[in-house]
Amino acid sequence: MKTNYFLLSLSVVAVFSSCKKFLTENPNNQIPSEVAIVDAGSARAAIIGAYDGVQSYYAGSYPTLGTITADQVVFNGTLSQYLQLDQNAIPADNVTTVAAYQGIYRTINSANSVIAYVPGLTDPSLPAAEKDKILGEAYFIRALGYFDLARGWGGVQLQLTPTANISGIKGVRRSTLEQTYDQVLNDLIEAERLLPEDASTRNRAQKSTARALRARLHLYRRQWRDAELYATQVIDNPKYQLVTPYKTFFTTPFQTRESVLELAYSNNDRNTFWNLWYPSSSGGQYTLKPSASFIAKVNNPAIGGTRSTLIAGTGNNVYGVLYNTVGVSTDPSYLIRIAELYLIRAEARAQQEFLNEARNDLNAVRSRAGVGNTTAVTKEQVLLAIEEENGIEFAFEAHRWFDLVRTRRAGEVLGLTNENYWLFPLPLSDVLSDPDLNGQNNPGY
Amino acid sequence: MRRQFMSVLLLVLTGLAAQLHAQLPARTVSGIITQAETNTPVEGATISAGRNQTVSRKDGSFQIEVAGNTHTLTITHSSFTLQEVKLSSASSYNVTLQSASKQLDDVIVTGYSTQNKRFIAGSIASISADDIKNIPAAGFNQLLQGKAAGVQVTANSGVPGGGVTFRVRGNNSINASADPLYIIDGVIVSNTDLIRTSLGNQQQSNPLADINPADIQSIQILKDANATAIYGSQGANGVVIVTTKRGRQNSAGKVSLHVSQGWSDAPKKFKLVTGPENGLLVNESRINTAIDQGIDPSTITLPYNPDTLQTYDRISGLFRTARTQNYELGLQGGSERSTYYASFSYLKQEGIVRPSNFERFATRLNYDNQINRILKAGTSVNISRTYRNVSVNDNSPTGVINSAIFPRSFLPIYNANGTYARYGSFDNHIALIENLDNNAVGWRTIGNVFAEIALLKELKFRTSYSLDYNSMYENNYANTLISAGIASNGSATSNETKNTVFTADQVLTYIKNIGRRHSVNALIGNSINTVLFQNTNATGTGFPSNSIKAISAAANRSGSSSRSLAKLVSFFAKGSYTFDNKYTFDGSIRADASSRFGVNKRWGYFPSGGFTWRLSQEDFIQRLDFFDDLKIRGSIGLSGTQNGIDAYAAPGLWSTGYNYLDQPGTAPAQLANPDLTWETTRQVDIGTEFTILNKRLTVTLDYYNKYTYDLLLNVPVPYRSGFTTYLQNFGAVRNKGWELSLHTNNISTADFSWTTDFNISWNTNRIEKLASDITLGASGRNTSILREGHPVNSFYLYKQLYVDPQTGNAVYEDLNKDGIITAADRQIVGNANPNYYGGLNNTLNYKNFELNFFFFFTQGNKILNMQNFFLVHGGTQANIGFLPIQLERWQRPGDITDIPRLTTYSGNPAENGGAANNYGGNVANLSSRYLEDASFIRLRNVSLSYQFPSQVINRLRLSSLRAYVQVTNLFTISKYSGLDPEVSSQSGNQNTAGYDWATVPQPRTIQVGLNVSF
Repeated sequence: MKTNYFLLSLSVVAVFSSCKKFLTENPNNQIPSEVAIVDAGSARAAIIGAYDGVQSYYAGSYPTLGTITADQVVFNGTLSQYLQLDQNAIPADNVTTVAAYQGIYRTINSANSVIAYVPGLTDPSLPAAEKDKILGEAYFIRALGYFDLARGWGGVQLQLTPTANISGIKGVRRSTLEQTYDQVLNDLIEAERLLPEDASTRNRAQKSTARALRARLHLYRRQWRDAELYATQVIDNPKYQLVTPYKTFFTTPFQTRESVLELAYSNNDRNTFWNLWYPSSSGGQYTLKPSASFIAKVNNPAIGGTRSTLIAGTGNNVYGVLYNTVGVSTDPSYLIRIAELYLIRAEARAQQEFLNEARNDLNAVRSRAGVGNTTAVTKEQVLLAIEEENGIEFAFEAHRWFDLVRTRRAGEVLGLTNENYWLFPLPLSDVLSDPDLNGQNNPGY
Repeated sequence: MRRQFMSVLLLVLTGLAAQLHAQLPARTVSGIITQAETNTPVEGATISAGRNQTVSRKDGSFQIEVAGNTHTLTITHSSFTLQEVKLSSASSYNVTLQSASKQLDDVIVTGYSTQNKRFIAGSIASISADDIKNIPAAGFNQLLQGKAAGVQVTANSGVPGGGVTFRVRGNNSINASADPLYIIDGVIVSNTDLIRTSLGNQQQSNPLADINPADIQSIQILKDANATAIYGSQGANGVVIVTTKRGRQNSAGKVSLHVSQGWSDAPKKFKLVTGPENGLLVNESRINTAIDQGIDPSTITLPYNPDTLQTYDRISGLFRTARTQNYELGLQGGSERSTYYASFSYLKQEGIVRPSNFERFATRLNYDNQINRILKAGTSVNISRTYRNVSVNDNSPTGVINSAIFPRSFLPIYNANGTYARYGSFDNHIALIENLDNNAVGWRTIGNVFAEIALLKELKFRTSYSLDYNSMYENNYANTLISAGIASNGSATSNETKNTVFTADQVLTYIKNIGRRHSVNALIGNSINTVLFQNTNATGTGFPSNSIKAISAAANRSGSSSRSLAKLVSFFAKGSYTFDNKYTFDGSIRADASSRFGVNKRWGYFPSGGFTWRLSQEDFIQRLDFFDDLKIRGSIGLSGTQNGIDAYAAPGLWSTGYNYLDQPGTAPAQLANPDLTWETTRQVDIGTEFTILNKRLTVTLDYYNKYTYDLLLNVPVPYRSGFTTYLQNFGAVRNKGWELSLHTNNISTADFSWTTDFNISWNTNRIEKLASDITLGASGRNTSILREGHPVNSFYLYKQLYVDPQTGNAVYEDLNKDGIITAADRQIVGNANPNYYGGLNNTLNYKNFELNFFFFFTQGNKILNMQNFFLVHGGTQANIGFLPIQLERWQRPGDITDIPRLTTYSGNPAENGGAANNYGGNVANLSSRYLEDASFIRLRNVSLSYQFPSQVINRLRLSSLRAYVQVTNLFTISKYSGLDPEVSSQSGNQNTAGYDWATVPQPRTIQVGLNVSF
């Protein structure tokens, strides 16, 4: 009997002492934060993760925000968030705006981590050139993130260091739009300095990519001379070219000379955005549908030209086919195409009264689509023609809405006269949980 | 509804008072003693009448002299409970004995021990096998609906083997699990749903449907802190202890067979407008929109000519008369040293909405052996295989029900060339029914081996090792005839998911009576529990032919895997001391350490204490001569929760799989919380149990107050952090309420008896502390909210006040009185929790017939009717038809209705009483007009059975033969306009109860069956 008690107490003691070890468990597919960026391999993985972040918001939410809100695309599905966007009656908890906002800041946190930890790495297998490249990409991605936030939501809170704990992010108030754009500019300058340039890369940031985004930034800030300057730098790079016919750039195998930045997808990394555009008879949900007015325009040879290949179907069943890898789901996200740089420069030149040069750039885009030269004469006519051209050329990309807001034409063109609605609402959850917002959303929300 | 219950109660009580008796002369009475369960004669029962005694013969018969002043016969037998029979002028009495496991002073199973129910200070509900027999539901948890006070059970849908919501005394948790702990024969059984196929937001399956309810002997539900604290960290949501059948020592082998067949249908089906009505509504919406836009309506072209439209019926193809087959074989017996129970069963249940199916093959072996005087060993093993044919519903436009109810009714089902027609986002329901191929095969092994050593007479050591191994193998193939497979040219997914729970318990028990007045029951023990979850997944797209479904044949293939392991180490002790059979003091403590928590705060300590006073043992109560039994009890204690959070919730983590350009990527995924620790529930319970009126009425009444604090809460954090939530111990929830159970023997004569069980529970839930509002539900529509000061499962909507009879536009409550309708005007307009719920069960026996009817009721809970949300859209949904109530829309000035004027106008979305907010605008149809009262009372079960008389049985050489017919869900009384007020289609998240969203209703089933034993 005594032995029994002895064995029992012995086993109890043994169990107690080995408890701590027994209770320590680590996941097999996650990495403790402390060792997330420690060497060449983990640094590479971290920057890839930041690109994945850009993919995640450009594969759906962000292009949706730039299209269904304007006049080329209408709601045709069942999900309320798209109806709200189509009607420009967007509540602060709208799923799509929240997803985009969240996705962008998640990406910025990835970029911030790279910017914070990669410079200190001493791994000999990470050469200085690659280190610069990784850092340059992180600066570019952060610039893109804040740019996309600014044009959607206005001036935002600037997070420039990775989040280690929640109390550490306290005290960051909203910046103005100008301050936010200044941050974008700073990051783009740093990115351009650090990034490499080669003749073929289009799916990762390069010097030209930073310049292209900078041209767009200056356009948004109405800094016409700089917009023209940086657009020219990209247009003059022989790496890029307007491809013909128009549909070449959205036809497999993609990564055409058209693209300045085109995020690629693969069999293991899918982009199912097509699903929102195709009808259920083709396996899609058909939530986003080309509007009747857009269909009429794009089918008009004098306006759409070969861009009529953006749509398919007949009668009541016309659908957009920019994203068309049905089932395979490998459509790229088109972030910056060379056509945009032409139109940026056209607009910048028109604003500087260089109307002939402006018309030349506009006609370059038109002629690629098989459409005759513009008939616009005055500055106002040219600017209007550029606006129209943007609307057709980038109908299903994240452009139309942002262009109309940028040029303050959303009231006239879309009938959305309440300018408060030209900005998206900050997520309701943030307004509730972030003391630095003081409970304030954008005006009107 | 309240009045109905009162009248039922009154009826029951009047029946009781009607029994009186008078003095009679001395005489001889005779009779037959039978066993209630099998109706077979009982030999060797002792019959006492005053001083006289006799013993029943082999055929159960007896004769006894009775003195004039003797009014009762007392019948005793070691295997049965004591039975008293009131003597009347009759000379013959047929007495049925209840087997010993069915009474108030039973010994019942509690945490790690058994206790005499008389002395228990905890609040424990006991349910016997008889209470749940034969109802055609696959999971025993579903069968407990309405059977026990304080236990709220909701079948989330009518899909066979589908999910069940089970709450003991309300929702304690917000992000941690609110499910109780299930223990079957000492094995901690996982209730983790392994089905990975996305079936919408509903809980996909009921993992407890792996167990055949016919194997169950009894179920105890531990509700209060005193009862649950011994399970420490896992007990806060209540504990359900299931004991399966075992053989009895020295009993002859018995074979029992049960065969049943059932047929089910939908008591109510969807109704849609006709084709012409649909055309009319769309036209009207178009005209109104033009008027709102300032366009002359005569200038617009109307889309349809209603007179030419046909009507296509999709609903009849959706439902079917579904068949249920059930076959069970049980073997039971025992020798002097060993006992056994073995069973084999097969159940096949078809869903009333095609094509879902459920099949279960289950087998069990329980074996015990007294190896020598001090050592006993045994095992319980359950092995089952389930097969489910599953299909998606609720928010998926390619779900079977959605594809049938959403397309406009004038659109043909087939194209002119005979192929399936599809519209908008929706698939074709016939295509789905004929081609859906989603199979889930589950293998479940629940096994336990134990040994018990009697170290001393009063000191026992028990060691027990348990395994719950659950695997699910899913193979889904979407062929090119359904929407999901069209684009990809065939798409297949395969998932192998395994959940392995291992538990080792060591318990030392000391039970001793010291003298006549002291008794002690104590134990100490330790337990180690590990939960390993593994999943491997493969997908393939692009198939050469629809007849080839193997992923290896696909053109594009990919895969992924996941794994998590959580561990728990526990030490516990419990003591109970009873003095003089009157006072019992209980105390227990448990210390738990979990690998899920932060290194700083891994250990949690959960003490509890309770007190019982058996007042009926006191002279002053006995002198009242009113109570047959009376006790009061009280308890207080702490229990904890850790389930439902991730196995690696505490450390800061970067996740993998954020890949780009086919290179591996990582990204920050979780913030570290080294202080993460237990969610704790403090519960106070005060209760009384008494029996009066000569044991005709037994009452149990409880009041409880549960306060759960340090909630494991996903606290929303600013998105600029790069994260969305941070798991913290923050917040508190309170549940308090009353529970009342009554058991009455209304009539008890030799030929006829009538018993009633009634229970009712009131629970009030309130979030006491929360970081900020959390909105969720309905696929991002955020129609549910968690808000401090309100109950969980509150609905967050715009409150429609009326439809302006002049303009036909909806007017909403302008909460902040700023003259416009914005998000600030959304408010809580009700919740999905009932005010009260309960069950009423009646059993009537007349000779060999037994009639049983059981009502379940729930009152005050709301349900959001998502069919109405979508199908009463005023024209804003271009591809969706209408429900008939859309026809009640406002049409001309003076119309009084709740359904506003049809329009798709979107100008000025903030105007209250403006056209934009009728169906769109800021309100976007999130209107209280789709929130309905889901109170109901349902005849859950009515059955009539016939026990064949002994002459027939003997001739057939059987020991028992019983036939029955039964109807489940015969009728439901409810104001709800949808198909079934009980469903909960968003049950995948416990904070979004109360949604009906293309959900399969509870079937109405008629079933016939036969029980034979020999």
